[in-house]
Amino acid sequence: MMDKQGRSLADTVWTRLDRKAGAITELTIRQLRHRLSTWVVLGVGTLLLLTLLAMYIAGAREGWDPIDNDGDSHDWDMDGYPAGQEMKYGADPWDGMSYPGSGHFVQEGSFQNNQGAVHYGNHTWRSATGTFTYNWIDESFAGGRGVLDVDRMDDCPEGEPLEDYWMDWGDGCIIEENRIFVLESTFRGEGTFRVHQNWYAEWGNMADAYDVEPEPASNYIDEDDIDWSGDPNGINGFDDDGDCLRTDWISFEFGFDKDENDNGIPCDVVWYAASDGTIIHIDRDENVDEDPSEESLSIEDAHRAFIIASGKIAFVMILSIFLPLFLALGLVRDETENGTLHYLLSKPIHRGEFITYRILGYLIISGGFVLIMSLFMGVVTAALGPGDSIFRLTDIIVWLGIAFATILALAAYGAIFNTLGLISSRYGVYIALIIGVYEFIMAVLTLAGAELIPILSVSHWTLQFIDSIVLIVWPNTLEMSIIAEAFDLPSALAAFWNPPMHHLGTESPFISALLSVVVLLLITAAMVLFGQRQFKHREIM
Amino acid sequence: MSTKPVPAVLIDHCSKWYGQVIGLNDVSLAIDGGVTGILGPNGAGKSTLFKLLMGRLKPSSGTVRLFGVDPWEDTAPYRRVGYVAETEKLYDWMTGLDFVSTLARLHGMTRDEAIERAAHVLEFVGLSDVQNKEVGKYSKGMRQRVKIAHALVHDPDLIILDEPLHGCDPIARTSIMSVIRDLGAQGKTVLVSSHILDEIERITEQIVILHNGRLLALGNLHAIRDLLDKHPHRILIRTEDPRALAGCFVPEDPVYGVRFAGEGALEILTNDLSAAHAILPRIIVESGINVTSIENPDDNLDALLGYLVGGN
Repeated sequence: MMDKQGRSLADTVWTRLDRKAGAITELTIRQLRHRLSTWVVLGVGTLLLLTLLAMYIAGAREGWDPIDNDGDSHDWDMDGYPAGQEMKYGADPWDGMSYPGSGHFVQEGSFQNNQGAVHYGNHTWRSATGTFTYNWIDESFAGGRGVLDVDRMDDCPEGEPLEDYWMDWGDGCIIEENRIFVLESTFRGEGTFRVHQNWYAEWGNMADAYDVEPEPASNYIDEDDIDWSGDPNGINGFDDDGDCLRTDWISFEFGFDKDENDNGIPCDVVWYAASDGTIIHIDRDENVDEDPSEESLSIEDAHRAFIIASGKIAFVMILSIFLPLFLALGLVRDETENGTLHYLLSKPIHRGEFITYRILGYLIISGGFVLIMSLFMGVVTAALGPGDSIFRLTDIIVWLGIAFATILALAAYGAIFNTLGLISSRYGVYIALIIGVYEFIMAVLTLAGAELIPILSVSHWTLQFIDSIVLIVWPNTLEMSIIAEAFDLPSALAAFWNPPMHHLGTESPFISALLSVVVLLLITAAMVLFGQRQFKHREIM
Repeated sequence: MSTKPVPAVLIDHCSKWYGQVIGLNDVSLAIDGGVTGILGPNGAGKSTLFKLLMGRLKPSSGTVRLFGVDPWEDTAPYRRVGYVAETEKLYDWMTGLDFVSTLARLHGMTRDEAIERAAHVLEFVGLSDVQNKEVGKYSKGMRQRVKIAHALVHDPDLIILDEPLHGCDPIARTSIMSVIRDLGAQGKTVLVSSHILDEIERITEQIVILHNGRLLALGNLHAIRDLLDKHPHRILIRTEDPRALAGCFVPEDPVYGVRFAGEGALEILTNDLSAAHAILPRIIVESGINVTSIENPDDNLDALLGYLVGGN
């Protein structure tokens, strides 16, 4: 289609529109560039992201200390053996007298609340409270909690024991030479024991004792890894450290059920998969696969959690609210107040278009900043992240998703705040601040997993978009969070990532991502249209 | 079917109220071609009239048309209009060339076209040598001229200038007046507002006088002035010997009285200002008395308005 001068319609209408858009957008960008507040807010944003990145780099340099998920590397009873080794030998990890090779105590006699009863002999005395007058005491008697440390006893204070003074359980004090007072103590020696009034003591000997070298605690860290065959119908889960399978369970584990998941197989793990093979639930017997290596799961978990948390909190909850507060609120308002609007509106350009191009200019500055910063963060995490690959390309894709989500939020907030500035140049900023706080609270609720209340917010849909992108790029994220929960792994993912909530019943992250984009664009369009309507019928003095 | 030519500016029974305050009261006007001075004291409704024309304000009643189109509803006529607003704010960080070319691009020009046109109009308003200087460093007169340049950059048919001489020094004033006269000579329709009679008189003969929002007079300034001249007028002469000079004036025909207005000042009262001014040089020369100044205290807008309002 040609006009009278023989120019095509595209030349005359669209090109001119395009030039006007370019001119206003460029003017807006240049104006923002000449404002101090722009540089201040971008500078603070950069500082925030660099701080986060520094924390990440420090974390990556320090590496990851393996975690003892089941706590069996610890020597709870202080007898020199880690709990795992004690359990392996059938010893009681909570009893200092019971340790690998300690043998077992054979009782020969005891006092039963006998007032001032006395017994003489060469014995192992157990749980003894009273006065012991000895001619020999075994100073090298091994043991932990509750075992008397003969070398480190102090003199008893003046007065009656347990009336005028008290001491820790398992401790004792020296009354005079070869005469001590002990409280709930275990020791070996020959002499006369007088039980304290209304207290207890027993004596006997340790049978079948032999020497066992204590193992290092590290042997009991990550010692029972997840055994997953990849087939939910196969047998999964194996008790590598034997703390489920062993039959001679010690007394404190009384009532222990080896087949808690009721599948007829003791000490295993049942993995439930959906029809497409994704894991949807895990049910394990206790003490099976309970101390897996963090190398494969938790480090990846922490890495993803850092990216998601940075994206959600730094980019969406802070940058996407603060940038428009500083850059978008005065897009049209300031021109009106300065009087410079007259120059722009005396040109053949509709006021509605004018608003759109102003917002576009603001978006190029703020969105450009967000894109550059997210790519920068992406390059660092992709280079330093865990895994065999030198560069984690998927990280970059997730970061791009975060940038896109943030830009959508910037557009929505920009349109909202610009309209507020138009409606009320005086109070717009206060209303914008209230909206900023509201959006932040809604984002926190969304992070906490709230599904319904926050749907009336921009931040909810932006965060859901990030959740969706994460699931699209890293489809095993959901499995990772299920595994972390099932095997009590430390997981930050659970705190910052939720499976997408609104997927129209499809469970598809593509649908939830698309839905989020549509909602955010609708909010933006509605606010731009509302602002245009306000501005179109505004008399300008 | 013949297309009827539409005037550049058509205002029909237009009124504008700001709450209880009237800005423009039932004004009807059609202007097309030449330079028209919109004359009126501050608050007369000049800026209101221009803002109605530029679609900034919506008329409370009546119609406003720019080239036949309602400017409140449609921005299309701005393609043919250049507007110099009263505002003194500019984008101070831009250079003159930048300012004019950026705004030129809003007319759909390419960047190169815009720069070429901007350079051209900046030369026309006499700012070529400072076009690469920041607008923030311009003098008041230069700022007014760069505003005029932005309004001319797209070669409009109608140019509206709201108080373009306000605050300018005499040199800038002369230069801007010359620009406006040139535009008129090029066949453009130019509306220029001012509250100073003398300024408008030096630019154009075609005037519109607004007072308290009403259209008081419209037509040729000289015709209006002639009416005024037939009205009692004062000529204030400062001289070393007012009494002797008074004696020389009393017998003359156009003079109907004299008055001593303080020391060294003589007031000649006349009903025909032109005739009185015609005989003035001869009498002063013949009297041989030293005269330091001659003023027409009644020859200003206030006097004109006083006469026109009184005449009503």
